Amino acid sequence: MSGPFLLRKFARCLLTLLLAVTFVFVVLRLSGDPVQRMLADDVPARVIESYRTMWGLDRPLPEQYLRYISQVVQGDFGVSFRDDRPVAAIIAERIPATLNLGLLAFGITLLIGIPGGIVAAMNRGRLVDRVVMGFTILGHSLPNFFLGILLILYFSMTLRLLPSSGIGTWQHMVMPAITLGTSFAGTVARFTRTAMLEVLNQPYMRTARAKGLGRPARVWRHALPNAAIPIVTVIGLRLGALVGGATVVETVFGYPGIGSLLVNAVAQRDLAVVQGVVLLIAFTMVLTNLIIDLAYGWLDPRITTSGKETKA
Amino acid sequence: MSALDAPPGERRWFFRPRRRAAKSHRRPSLVVMICLLWLALVVFTAIFAGWLAPFGYTEQSLLNRLKPPAFFGGPAEHLLGTDGLGRDVLSRLFFALRTSILVALLGTGIGAVTGTVLGILAAHFRGWVDDIVMVLVDFQASVPFLIVALAVLAFFGNSFVLFVCIVGLFGWETYARLVRGLVLSVSGEGYAFAIGTLGVHPARIYLRHLLPNIAGVLVVQLTLNFPEIILLETSLSFLGLGIQPPGTSLGLALGEGRNYIATAWWIGLPAGVVIFLTTLSISLVGDWVRDALDPSLAQSE
Repeated sequence: MSGPFLLRKFARCLLTLLLAVTFVFVVLRLSGDPVQRMLADDVPARVIESYRTMWGLDRPLPEQYLRYISQVVQGDFGVSFRDDRPVAAIIAERIPATLNLGLLAFGITLLIGIPGGIVAAMNRGRLVDRVVMGFTILGHSLPNFFLGILLILYFSMTLRLLPSSGIGTWQHMVMPAITLGTSFAGTVARFTRTAMLEVLNQPYMRTARAKGLGRPARVWRHALPNAAIPIVTVIGLRLGALVGGATVVETVFGYPGIGSLLVNAVAQRDLAVVQGVVLLIAFTMVLTNLIIDLAYGWLDPRITTSGKETKA
Repeated sequence: MSALDAPPGERRWFFRPRRRAAKSHRRPSLVVMICLLWLALVVFTAIFAGWLAPFGYTEQSLLNRLKPPAFFGGPAEHLLGTDGLGRDVLSRLFFALRTSILVALLGTGIGAVTGTVLGILAAHFRGWVDDIVMVLVDFQASVPFLIVALAVLAFFGNSFVLFVCIVGLFGWETYARLVRGLVLSVSGEGYAFAIGTLGVHPARIYLRHLLPNIAGVLVVQLTLNFPEIILLETSLSFLGLGIQPPGTSLGLALGEGRNYIATAWWIGLPAGVVIFLTTLSISLVGDWVRDALDPSLAQSE
């Protein structure tokens, strides 16, 4: 992995981030005067003017734009319209909850998806394969909010085993994590299966078998590492779906994370919080994509130092 | 929510044994027939909701609040029971279905047209037009669409037209990328060049000659996109940020049902089941259409 390759990746990331910031800024300014939206109708013009001066809304647009960028870079997302607290602080206190849920769900996704895909590929066309693939179709048609409600109905209302909403104990995590994790597991299983099938047909797999390698060695040492690239790509590409899904799932289970913060902020039109969360998510996505790009080089040395994928 | 990432022709064999796959392109399997039947029922109900519904969807009856479905001991005239305002759940389900299908159809159309036009523009002009479109495509692909949709709704407030436009923009980048690639490859072929030398206007070349040639791929993309759009609409409405009361949609119905989940499960559950069955049917029928349109996929399996 050489300099130019990394440099180009970084430049692309920065460009995407700049686009995200610009998008938010443009939309923010297009949507009207925040001062008028925030203050009551009978506030005197003098007060409105002073607020405009205080927030720099009386400056020319390019200056506002530059100022906005510099604030964002410094981690200053402004002040919530609702309770006057800094947006950065409001978001920060929600991050641990979302991170916990996200990592747990991601773990469930991998634990179900990858073994499921491998087993399906190994038993291609047999009953196991059909059952696994059937579940992926069901999972991908079942909206996660509906699955969440079904889980609440059964485990909270009928069995009275798990709390239906809130946070605190591990029991609160079970249903949100399962709902979020399974919504993504089907996709991963399907792609793992496809990637494995492709690899299993390669000549070197026949060679491995011919030289007497056992099945576990063939699968773990030969097939899986070669199938890893497309699997990682898909996981990276679809991570956005996980983030989007988290907003819905957190709302269903009344789970106080970033997602439910965003939904509430949108409902109350607290634009300061909305732009903060959107920028945070954009930043996270860009960073994740960068990490995945870097992971390719580690997973597959054939993705060469020139940054081009060579067909070996 | 991820029909987009289904590798084409990947799931087909599940409902049709592989041995017969190559021969039975025309004749749909039993499962596909059932799905088609369900979809026909959905469309029929959506169109004739006004005639089919026993009650108006805003018609309240405060004496009949929270009545369970008829087969759970409720009154016979409310087949699926009533909600917290005494409105008939079945009637509301019909109208919710109409709204959701309408939004999904409009949205799919908007997304397909926008993406196709941008893709053609990018491929036609190349240069900086191409660059701009592709940067936008990359940007759209890297930020979760639900988040962008939420942000736009927050900034501009909610109206039906805006909501349909937002839902419509979902997936435009896939069409754009697809069409751009297709147009670039088709333009290199002799017939496009031949028509061009006849002095035919580029717009006419694209509409009359190129579009029919790439229509098959676009239809495949439509079948992949449609269920996702339904899920997007229902997700946003479920969050209370899409279709607004007193209107109703499948997602909103399920969202309202969530508030009554401890006491009256029948308010939300039917809408959830309808969403599930509809997206499932479209996915399965979509697979079948893909096979019918592109038999080469079946052989590559």
